[in-house]
Amino acid sequence: MFAISRDFAPPLDLIAPFFKIGALLYLFSMIALIGFNSSFAYQEMAVAGWVHLFLLGFVMVIIFGAMAQLIPVVLEVGHAVVDLYYVILPLLGIGTLIMVAGFWIEPALLSYGGLLVLSSMIIFALEAFATLKKAEINTLTVKTIAVSNTYLLLGILTGFAIALGLNGTISINVDTMLKAHVYAVLGGFVLLTIMGLSLTLIPMFSLAHGFDETPIKRGFNLVAIGVGIVFIGALVSLDILQWLGYLITIIGAGFYLYQIYIIYKLTVRKEMDIWAKAMFFGFGSLILSIVLGVIYLLGASDSWLHTSAWFFILGFIGFLINGHLYKIVPFLVWFERFAPLVGKEKVPMLHEMYPKEQANMMFWFSSIGTTLGGLGLLLENDFLFKSGASLLMIGGVFLYLSMSKMLSYGK
Amino acid sequence: MCEITKERVFEAISTVIDPEVGFNLVEMGLIYDAIVEESCNVKVIMTLSTRGCPLHQMIKMWVQEAVEKIDNAGIVEVDVVWEPAWNISMADDNVKEALAGGMPS
Repeated sequence: MFAISRDFAPPLDLIAPFFKIGALLYLFSMIALIGFNSSFAYQEMAVAGWVHLFLLGFVMVIIFGAMAQLIPVVLEVGHAVVDLYYVILPLLGIGTLIMVAGFWIEPALLSYGGLLVLSSMIIFALEAFATLKKAEINTLTVKTIAVSNTYLLLGILTGFAIALGLNGTISINVDTMLKAHVYAVLGGFVLLTIMGLSLTLIPMFSLAHGFDETPIKRGFNLVAIGVGIVFIGALVSLDILQWLGYLITIIGAGFYLYQIYIIYKLTVRKEMDIWAKAMFFGFGSLILSIVLGVIYLLGASDSWLHTSAWFFILGFIGFLINGHLYKIVPFLVWFERFAPLVGKEKVPMLHEMYPKEQANMMFWFSSIGTTLGGLGLLLENDFLFKSGASLLMIGGVFLYLSMSKMLSYGK
Repeated sequence: MCEITKERVFEAISTVIDPEVGFNLVEMGLIYDAIVEESCNVKVIMTLSTRGCPLHQMIKMWVQEAVEKIDNAGIVEVDVVWEPAWNISMADDNVKEALAGGMPS
């Protein structure tokens, strides 16, 4: 028996800025995409700048905001120090912008931005660990939070080492450290967090029940181990370890996809709303990304790796996050503004609280943009890539507009 | 002798709507039982569609308040249980049809 007290829920004015700024930085990163060409090297500073704008400015900001709300739900206890989230957002937002300026304009700025980002993430991770200590339950999602936050700490420490290496403060092998950094953050934190949260959120929104959780448990263990092996392999520059890690991670992702299929088969709610559409596109992108990645590992050109990363980052991560925003944000607003009115006056249903036309526009522009952009990367065709980026930018405008509308509903 | 019937308790709870799916808790099949004692104290035994439901506490409170509105109701207690776990077969036909048909409720 457990109970989620209203006291556990952080106030809307603490969480709302995460979502609004996250959506704004998503739009900025889509605008910035237009300035890139379809052919590039992933080690380029300009590319690293864009990746950090998207992953820190959009993905991390939204994940941190969502975790502020979801950690008490998942752990069934209140935050250790919820007010720290008031500090996390400005540190992360400003740090990200300084870092991006460091990548794009003046490398000396990198370590300053990196220090702010590092501080925000350490605060986030320590607060999450302190909250975990209070929790009495030990579900897979709880385990996920513990492991993914450990990888987050490793990822930011390697990232900060890279920042110091790039501006000449310390002497390190940046290429080696870069692999460890990317894998710890993308595979260790982002993928594991999404895996853990989807086991809670997807059945909740699709009303799927009574499914076997063995595949996700195997998938989680394999991805956690695979990421660890790649991380160590990259640090000691041992190719065989890295290959082994890639293989284990791919098998783990396969188990995760199988779990999603099991949940989908038991889904009661068949409504094709914006969330369901985004889930289809997101998981389709993950499958495509794995296939393209395997083809690259078998010896194809770099453009296959770029396209694989594109569908993983924009198709899978982007759509899973954006789709859930249309469920989570109306709920937060409803909880704050309408829950106290239940039984006293008519309150809206959650599905009435998001602008359906704008959400659909976001979906169609973004999905076609992602597909065209991916095709442009694969074929190294600038026209296709820039067309895709332009559509993604329009999708980003609709995301920001609908976010503003949802957050101001009933104000 | 208390005149409150189990049906009256279910009727009162049917005013409580799940804001996510838009159906009331009774037609969703979430209310397992209502025990009315001679003193008119009422014990409601219910479940939720998801164990991690962030509205857990509030839904429990709404059910309690709805039952307390019944004339002469005594102390109202609401127990949320997880066995048997809820599944869609427990819901009314109109709920099953609406969810399977993909229509927003």
